[in-house]
Amino acid sequence: MISLAIRYLLAKRRQTILMLLGIFFGAASYVTISGFMLGFRGYLVDQLVNNSPHIHIEAREEFLTDTSLNEAFYGDHYSHIFWTPPPSGRKDNAIVEKPQAWYARLRADPRVFAFSPQLSASVIFSNGKATAPTSLIGCDPLQQEKVTTIGSLVVEGKFSDIAAGGNRVVIGRELQKRLGVRVSQNTLVSLGRGLPSPFKVVGIFETGNKMTDNMAYGSLADVQKVNNSPNHVNEIAVRLFDHTQAAALATTWSAFGPEKVQSWDQINANIFDVFRIQDSIRFLSIGAIMIVAGFGIYNVLNMMVIQKRRDIAILRSMGYSTREIISLFFTQGFLLGVVGVTLGLSCGYGICLYLRTLPFKGNAMISDGHMIVSTAPEIYLQAGLLALATSCLASVLPARAAGKLTPIEIIRAGTE
Amino acid sequence: MAIVANKISKAIGKPPVRILSDINLKINDGEFVALTGRSGSGKSTLLYILSSLDSPSEGCVEIGGHEIGKMTNEELYQFRNEKMGFVFQFHYLISELTTIENVLLPAVKTGRQSERKAYAESLLSQFGLGDKLHRLPRQLSGGEQQRLAIARALVMQPRYLFADEPTGSLDSANGDIVMNIIRDANKNFGTTVIMVTHDPDFAATANRAINLVDGRIVDAT
Repeated sequence: MISLAIRYLLAKRRQTILMLLGIFFGAASYVTISGFMLGFRGYLVDQLVNNSPHIHIEAREEFLTDTSLNEAFYGDHYSHIFWTPPPSGRKDNAIVEKPQAWYARLRADPRVFAFSPQLSASVIFSNGKATAPTSLIGCDPLQQEKVTTIGSLVVEGKFSDIAAGGNRVVIGRELQKRLGVRVSQNTLVSLGRGLPSPFKVVGIFETGNKMTDNMAYGSLADVQKVNNSPNHVNEIAVRLFDHTQAAALATTWSAFGPEKVQSWDQINANIFDVFRIQDSIRFLSIGAIMIVAGFGIYNVLNMMVIQKRRDIAILRSMGYSTREIISLFFTQGFLLGVVGVTLGLSCGYGICLYLRTLPFKGNAMISDGHMIVSTAPEIYLQAGLLALATSCLASVLPARAAGKLTPIEIIRAGTE
Repeated sequence: MAIVANKISKAIGKPPVRILSDINLKINDGEFVALTGRSGSGKSTLLYILSSLDSPSEGCVEIGGHEIGKMTNEELYQFRNEKMGFVFQFHYLISELTTIENVLLPAVKTGRQSERKAYAESLLSQFGLGDKLHRLPRQLSGGEQQRLAIARALVMQPRYLFADEPTGSLDSANGDIVMNIIRDANKNFGTTVIMVTHDPDFAATANRAINLVDGRIVDAT
């Protein structure tokens, strides 16, 4: 029956090509759009997983409520206390309360690859008349390099140079541009109150993210000194051996203290929401193409069943079974699916390869100056299955209709 | 191995219109029977009931000792494929297939096309189509198309040949050729032929002519 199905398709070349085009475009556009979207997404997730800590243990920002100050001022002497106006605002001492306990716990945990205590201070850098408010992050550079990829992003100098102490900083490319400083020059760092402290620029880093490239890194001790907060840390950055365990571990660790413990994916939950919206749009648009393609196949096969009623009658009179008649028409849809999918996937793959060669100037979406387009096998598998399922589903109804025809009703209709 | 019809009646539509009434008939192996009658007399309906393509409202049909109504679908499909051949007024050829492919179509069902190919070619030569094996039906004349349809009906060397006005759409010369082929099949291969015809001359060449009037057998000679 396959050869007869092929003959039927070849006899109606124009219709066959139109049906093929539907499946072809569906498969090709799925592969191309998914390749583009998932390539970008993969790059973004890769950046999040590799460049940033997997878990952040941060001092919790506490906000005052109507009852926050009751105990401090009145103990338990009164049952009803009313404030006019009620207390509001944020508690100022945002630090990790028992860092040593966290260090001991993290050292003992076999799932932890490395951790780096940090103190972030909001400071103002100045060089002559150029000033730039930014964050200065104090850290142990050797630990920080294990936790993030900052060491490999230093384009001038070395990140570990800040380990020597003595007020040294590695600053981001954007900050360097704003201040107009070069490596080995001094810049002043102040908290906005008190005298500024001189810091020597020992390195420049460039991540490609303008916000990050506006920050600066110094040794933990130096930043604690500038911030007037000796021994304080307000974040512990943790890197795990397996980043997929981050969310579960962060949830477990949240119970250990008042600190806010969040995994990389929890912090970037809004990005993953955007991914989900992207997926919905992707599936809806491809779905629309597939529905149109499916209806095309359905209509043409339906017409073919009507046109081939006499063939069905004679085949049935020769002893061909209902199942064989169904298979005759279903095979046509299936063949269209197979050929359309093969051509569509090949063309989609070609487009993806071509897109990869296009130069693209934009930091967030480039790799070696070119667009990132995924050619992951699962995209091709999904596209193939979707397109094949569409063509098969579209063929089922006409094929069943053909199977239900009895020779006698066709012959009677033919002689009427 | 005869074809036996027991008290066959057929009614169709709502309210039911009776097309055949109380038909009792026995057709012996190797017989050539013509079913005659005016339009609407029920002769085609009787042919299709006898050949299993249609089912009676009442009564039963036995072919070769098998009661059709009691056969499973698979048994019926196999029986049609191996034991029956059909020729219709219109040739019902598959326009996408060549002459030889159309003839071998019944054999394709059971994967016996290579086994039947030599016989198919000899049939086509016998019917004057030996040099047109690879032509499409549209490249043949009306008479050639009907001869091709008969070759297809005979390719499995069926025990029974059912023909519904096989000369109905042909001129008299082509009609004579087709009738000779059918007669030869009956004579040379012992094929039982049941043929519906309007033409009294063709009916006269049959072993027996059964005349139907208003769904009843009124005359069997």
